Amino acid sequence: MSMSSAEAAKKEMITSSKKGTKGKYFGVKFMNYFLGPIIAFIIFAALWQTVPLLIGMPHYIFPKPTDVINAAVSDWSLLRQAVQITVLESVIGFLLSAVIGIIVSIILASSKIIERSIYPYAIILQTLPVVAVAPIVVIWFGAGFNAIVVVAFLIGFFPVISNTLMGLNSVDKEMDDLFSLYNASKWQKMWKLRIPSAMPFIMAGLKISCTLSIVGAIVGEYVAGVGGGEGGLGYAITVSAIQVNTSFIFACAIAGAVLGVSFYLLVNLVSNKILGSWHESAMKKEQ
Amino acid sequence: MVIKKIPKAKVLEWMAGCRTKGDFDLKEGHLLQTNKKEMVAFRQMSKVFSNGTVALDQFDLTIGEGEFLTFLGPSGCGKSTALRMTAGLAEASSGEVKVFNKDPKETIRNTNDIAFVFQEPNLLPWRKVIDNVVLPLELRGTSKKEAKAEACRVLEMVGLKDYATSYPRELSGGMKMRVSIARALAAKPKLLLMDEPFAALDEMTRQSLQLELLEIWEKEKTTILFVTHNVFEAVYLSTRIAVMSAGPGRLSSVIDVNLPYPRHAISRTDQEFSAYVKKASDQLENSLDKRGIG
Ligand SMILES: Nc1ncnc2c1ncn2[C@@H]1O[C@H](COP(=O)(O)OP(=O)(O)OP(=O)(O)O)[C@@H](O)[C@H]1O
Ligand SMILES: [Mg+2]
Repeated sequence: MSMSSAEAAKKEMITSSKKGTKGKYFGVKFMNYFLGPIIAFIIFAALWQTVPLLIGMPHYIFPKPTDVINAAVSDWSLLRQAVQITVLESVIGFLLSAVIGIIVSIILASSKIIERSIYPYAIILQTLPVVAVAPIVVIWFGAGFNAIVVVAFLIGFFPVISNTLMGLNSVDKEMDDLFSLYNASKWQKMWKLRIPSAMPFIMAGLKISCTLSIVGAIVGEYVAGVGGGEGGLGYAITVSAIQVNTSFIFACAIAGAVLGVSFYLLVNLVSNKILGSWHESAMKKEQ
Repeated sequence: MVIKKIPKAKVLEWMAGCRTKGDFDLKEGHLLQTNKKEMVAFRQMSKVFSNGTVALDQFDLTIGEGEFLTFLGPSGCGKSTALRMTAGLAEASSGEVKVFNKDPKETIRNTNDIAFVFQEPNLLPWRKVIDNVVLPLELRGTSKKEAKAEACRVLEMVGLKDYATSYPRELSGGMKMRVSIARALAAKPKLLLMDEPFAALDEMTRQSLQLELLEIWEKEKTTILFVTHNVFEAVYLSTRIAVMSAGPGRLSSVIDVNLPYPRHAISRTDQEFSAYVKKASDQLENSLDKRGIG
């Protein structure tokens, strides 16, 4: 009896996935997850548009959404170029912080002595406000692209290091024993046990560092200014502030936010791809 | 045997282990194996943890090649500690443990002859079942092809050939445990250490795994050190039972189980079987009483 009901359920599942229930499911999902935020956004935009109008706030103090859109459209080529440059700076900065951060962590974690002696400084350095050292970076690397990339790298570097180190040291004791028992060498343990175990931690670190690298790039531009005559978002914002082009500052800030979210989603996608098959954190729950 | 090399305590124990009476009743050869080479020897072994806990006190026992010896004792009496020390995962505070007359660590370094099955399956979640089983071979540098073939063989032995390409999370608890056993077997150990491997399983799964384990033991001629606090399990599986008492962990008595193999023929309500269960239970209770008085 139970057999047949189970079979019926299976059949139901197959036919329902063939038929249009998927569409219906999507509809329900849409209602549950997206309708609320969309309505909230519309209300928010409407308030933002009407309140400055009602109290007669001038656009150079507090621009309305339409002002921001106008500014973005009229200076579109400027905005696009600024975004492109910031993307380039932050992506290079992020990749450097990811690669160097992971390599340095592995080297640190490969020896308890090295780790114990250097880790405290890594923590102290992490609390160092990167904004404060940005001018030094400019002195060392010269105003422009290089300095900006270094600032983006520095700001993204420490979350990668601290997360990776934490991951590399969070290996289950019995798993470690198992590898010892099978006579694994230090590096076999590293490659086959510690790094895979650390993967979720590493990915979490990269997610933090990718959005920070955009912050780093913009801050770097504030301090270092133009890179080879063309500026990124930070530069565009500084220039617009001098011109009191508040609407364009808003447009740049929103562009930066969109950039941050897209960057995060991209890294998240890569992380899910890498972790997908084994780690629970990235696993879709089966109902 | 070279008499002069054997300490007196061991000779006494060996004499106690000789089954001159029972040996001839048996068709199977296993119980004659006490005369065989010594595999593991605990000599006056003590373990005191840094927090002052005395986990093992003057532990003295020798295990012959091919034996299935079970440590039976209450929780906290040092069963896991004894097993971990046999695998070189913990150092003795005084006395020693030898595997093949060598320090366990040295044995592992030289020959990879020891395998361990933990209470938890401890599978690598990012590796498929077959790649988990291959692990010990991979670590010692066996060629990929050979390792895969061996992994397939042991997976078939534990009845999981069809799940070779599944991930651990797709398996049930009992299946994971079988993978863990398969991984240990793939290492072709001469000494297999098992720490309550079936404790978390339901009765049916446990019984079928017990049978499988006995079959593998008879086929592969491995020496097994098994830990349990289940008296039935101890009697059903072992050639000898080492009953332990807690606080501090001591060996309180050793019971020879002269029941013939294969044991699936034995009903668990069989008179002889019950007698052994009663004996083991009594010893266990004794050891608990002792602790109460001491
Ligand atoms: N790392 C450790 N540090 C300090 N004490 C420990 C440690 N490991 C075990 N012990 C102590 O040693 C004693 C024996 O522990 P062990 O794990 O060997 O017991 P067990 O017989 O395996 O018990 P169980 O049946 O519950 O698994 C216990 O009193 C325990 O508290
Ligand atoms: Mg234990």
